[in-house]
Amino acid sequence: MNAALGHTGVLLALGASIVGAGVLAYGLVRRRPATIRSGRVYAWLALAGAVGATVAMERALVTHDFSIVFVAANNSRSTPLLYTITGMWSALSGSILLWSLILTGYIAAMVWRFRRSSDDPLVGWATLVTYLIAAFFFGLMAGPADPFRTVAGPVPANGIGPNVLLQDNALVAFHPPLLYLGFVGFSVPFAFAIASLVTGRVGELRPAAGTRTAPKGPVSRGRAGEAEGAITWQAATRRWTLFAWGFLTVGIVLGAWWSYQVLGWGGFWAWDPVENASFLPWLCATAYLHSAMVQERRGLLRVWNLSLIVSTFSLTILGTFLTRSGVLTSVHAFSESDIGPALLGFFAAVVVVGVGLIAWRGDRLRSSGGIDSPASREGAFLLNNLLFVAFAFIVLVGTVFPLLYESLRGQQVTVGSPYFNSMTLPIALALLLLMAIGPALPWRKTNAATMSERLLVPAACAVGIVVACVAGGVRGLGPLSAFGLGSFAAAANVRQLVLSSAGSRRRGAGAWRGLVGRANGGMVVHIGVVVIAVAMAAAVSYGHRSEVTLRPGAQATVDGHRIAFEGLARVRTPSRSATEALVLVDGHGPLRPAVSQFGAGTDPVGTPAIDSGALDDVYLTVDSLPSSAGGPVGIGVIVQPLVMWLWVGGTILVLGAVLAAVPGRRRRPTDPVSAPVSPTTSASVSAAAGRTDEGRLCDPADELVGTRPR
Amino acid sequence: MSAHSPRWWSGWPRWSVRRSSWSARTSAWFVLAVVLAAALAIGASRPNASSTAAQRAAAIDSDLRCPSCEGISVADSSAPAAVAIRRAVAARVSEGQSTAQIESFLEGRYGLGILLRPPASGLSAAVWVVPLAAVTVGVLGLVFFFWRRRRVDPVPVTVEDRVLVEDAMTSARAQAGSRAQAGSRPQEIP
Amino acid sequence: MIEPTRRRHLARWVAAVALLAAGALVAGLAAAQPSTITEVATPLLGHRAPAVSGTTLADRHFDLSSLRGRWVVVNFFASWCPPCREEQPGLVTFAYQHRRSDVALVGVVFDDTASRARSFLAQTGATWPVVTDPGGQIALDFGVRGPPETFLISPRGVVTAHLDGPVTSAGLDDWLAVVRRGGT
Repeated sequence: MNAALGHTGVLLALGASIVGAGVLAYGLVRRRPATIRSGRVYAWLALAGAVGATVAMERALVTHDFSIVFVAANNSRSTPLLYTITGMWSALSGSILLWSLILTGYIAAMVWRFRRSSDDPLVGWATLVTYLIAAFFFGLMAGPADPFRTVAGPVPANGIGPNVLLQDNALVAFHPPLLYLGFVGFSVPFAFAIASLVTGRVGELRPAAGTRTAPKGPVSRGRAGEAEGAITWQAATRRWTLFAWGFLTVGIVLGAWWSYQVLGWGGFWAWDPVENASFLPWLCATAYLHSAMVQERRGLLRVWNLSLIVSTFSLTILGTFLTRSGVLTSVHAFSESDIGPALLGFFAAVVVVGVGLIAWRGDRLRSSGGIDSPASREGAFLLNNLLFVAFAFIVLVGTVFPLLYESLRGQQVTVGSPYFNSMTLPIALALLLLMAIGPALPWRKTNAATMSERLLVPAACAVGIVVACVAGGVRGLGPLSAFGLGSFAAAANVRQLVLSSAGSRRRGAGAWRGLVGRANGGMVVHIGVVVIAVAMAAAVSYGHRSEVTLRPGAQATVDGHRIAFEGLARVRTPSRSATEALVLVDGHGPLRPAVSQFGAGTDPVGTPAIDSGALDDVYLTVDSLPSSAGGPVGIGVIVQPLVMWLWVGGTILVLGAVLAAVPGRRRRPTDPVSAPVSPTTSASVSAAAGRTDEGRLCDPADELVGTRPR
Repeated sequence: MSAHSPRWWSGWPRWSVRRSSWSARTSAWFVLAVVLAAALAIGASRPNASSTAAQRAAAIDSDLRCPSCEGISVADSSAPAAVAIRRAVAARVSEGQSTAQIESFLEGRYGLGILLRPPASGLSAAVWVVPLAAVTVGVLGLVFFFWRRRRVDPVPVTVEDRVLVEDAMTSARAQAGSRAQAGSRPQEIP
Repeated sequence: MIEPTRRRHLARWVAAVALLAAGALVAGLAAAQPSTITEVATPLLGHRAPAVSGTTLADRHFDLSSLRGRWVVVNFFASWCPPCREEQPGLVTFAYQHRRSDVALVGVVFDDTASRARSFLAQTGATWPVVTDPGGQIALDFGVRGPPETFLISPRGVVTAHLDGPVTSAGLDDWLAVVRRGGT
């Protein structure tokens, strides 16, 4: 019954997507607004189908319906309820189901959000593209990756249970769904980008005739022909992109945290191919978030932005291919490879369509303005984009190179952390520097006097911190550069926030207004990135691993921490049986690193225990158990400074994304765009400064308070 | 903020870098640069991390891939295969073999894939060369793009232009003011 | 400013380069084999096989040199490795078919305890000698990255093939036929 329900849901959604795409295509080609409007209903049908299939799968899992192959392979009677529910996305076909559910959710939300402009061909084409994407994923589930395939032969009495590594930590309930909310979220901006190319419009959205927001009377046109008061699709989807980016960031940070907590090697980022697969779209999306500001403020870089969105979406598909096709082995790897060719084909189709459309129609979208000077906010954003794209390119080359090398030479080669670290370190440092300078740069053009005035205090803070570190005994050029540039960036961003709060308080809007909105949220995000960068530099450069062999009751001192081994304990719960070592670190604990076995008949895995502190983390693993009772136990001890701040920085990042989503003050057409240019004497500088103090010509706070495009 | 305010912090941040003169700022930058250079010079001299045999072995271990794990180095892994390699490396380090000898010994058994850093010779050099070449092309492209734009001379601003701008600003402000009075709200983006 | 036609040509060139790069990527990825049985070009090919000596699971001493003059199939496996489980029936068939021929099958335990290896083999019915490798030295000498890996050693003790992934009885027979024809 579950299988039947599931199959029905999948086929319903597949049918709705295909029919919806057909209806919209007909309406768009024949230019029939009524037909285009009617294409909306299929989004809800597809959502219903996806929800039905998900309910069927969860029901099968919770009731241990082992007649379904997926349930037999990923669930067992002794699996706890939490891991039963999360078992849906612990293997291939179930994860495609989760992806499809989230995709239909996004499509329905998009259709609802733009319902008033639903007969605008731009929205119509975007909906069509999303229907095609949904049709692909539901087609996968109807064919090669069927989650509801039933067992041929007798129904097994018990299932195998999920992968043991997925039963150790409740994070499995959060990491994949949040990651998918990020990945799938980029489908909507992608759909609008394709629609924009096909219709040749930058895209003010025309409200449907007769609705409340339809303009009355003559509409005044602003720059680039956009109607007064109309929204560009890019501005309308800005929050969608921000949400998707935010969820992806949370997913990646949670994945790193999970890796640290569970895998037992003491690290949090291994440049694993699957980690890279999630990082690549993140890099492109970050580049897009920055260059989108140039497009909103100055109308430039439209074609480049379209390329970035197409790249981001293509990379999500490529990432899905890499993790699910079996070409790469990983802790994430799902061993089936049937859907590999389908995903690769879809990736190729997306790239060909995207690149083809951009090459063919991109000319129509070109803006008339240009970038005046490299020393400006636009120039900084361009450099920022270059650095992010270079970063992504390096990660991409490093990830796929072993595959390509093996197909060419038949030999295996490994591209591991040393490669990625040495290639990306200069880019990371350059990005830190840019984070400091960028927000202080005015638009259009600047000069040395303005920059020196704005950056002197942050630079002084940075130098102070470097001196303090060196005086405190910190050594090593790499980490010191990271600390120095990081504090430079943090101080510069804090300066912006302080000015913005002061400015908004002066204006009577309340100081808190200076902390919300896109620009200010962005400053908070930068501060989060700096915290992560500093923590990572400290942990990687000064981490130290060692092993101590202790008898019960003995203790040792490792890197300034007192490790006392109390004894072994055996633990048995229905889901887990383990041999734990009770260890006291600096007198508190006991911490319980163990060798655990989840479920019956599975292999034991090492489970670590961590003592987190503000200054450093002590990471304990059981490396060897004694051969006789009362014998010595080998305990691995890894001491890494500042690891906790990685997670704190991640939280600040996400907080900044939330702050950036809050609507800010709408920018008036008369608001200035740039700083005063080329004063020639110091007198005129201070005179200009005097004017800016009154907030007339160029209050620095003006560029910081959340603004809306014209 | 009035000048006669008694609290010492009420001047911040308006004590201002702005109000200081150009020459004071330049000398401040110069001092900062010198201090930074000195600090980095002292700080860059890290005690040689390859002095003891154990440290050398650990350094080599962190460049070797654990054969039965995924993407983790021999130094990080506790798998028996990694332990065996660590033992072999430590034995060879204490014999005095060089890093290249040890790595080629292990390559002779596991193939190129045992190294975490692909060798910079042969086809695998592409993984180093291609990204650097692409980045160089990108940077050159940007430089070229800006170089061409620079050759356009800026148009001098005339008095008529200024009058035109002032008129437009006045009418736009008036429009903004009247719309505010009429109470219509700009369209919110949810 | 670049004129419109020059710009369009530039755009076409950039698009062509991008499509070419993507095409190369897709072609390379399509050619990449997901993990199935493949022959690996390891450095040991054509060289003398490293020593395989130690205690078998039946607590007897074993040395590879005692099998000189016969073809030897050395199979590295572990109880925790699912493809090893898959290939066991094929190996049992192979061992039975060659029980009176000049082909010998030897197993080596990779990164596993003797007791678990014993129970694993008891389930699958293996009858050939299986050597334990407590320190991982044999695995290191052969350059075994992860089970299952199988080596073919000629009667003169030279490594002739290195197969990565689960093997089948028919597959092993094919390999044997090929290397015998090659005459090593």
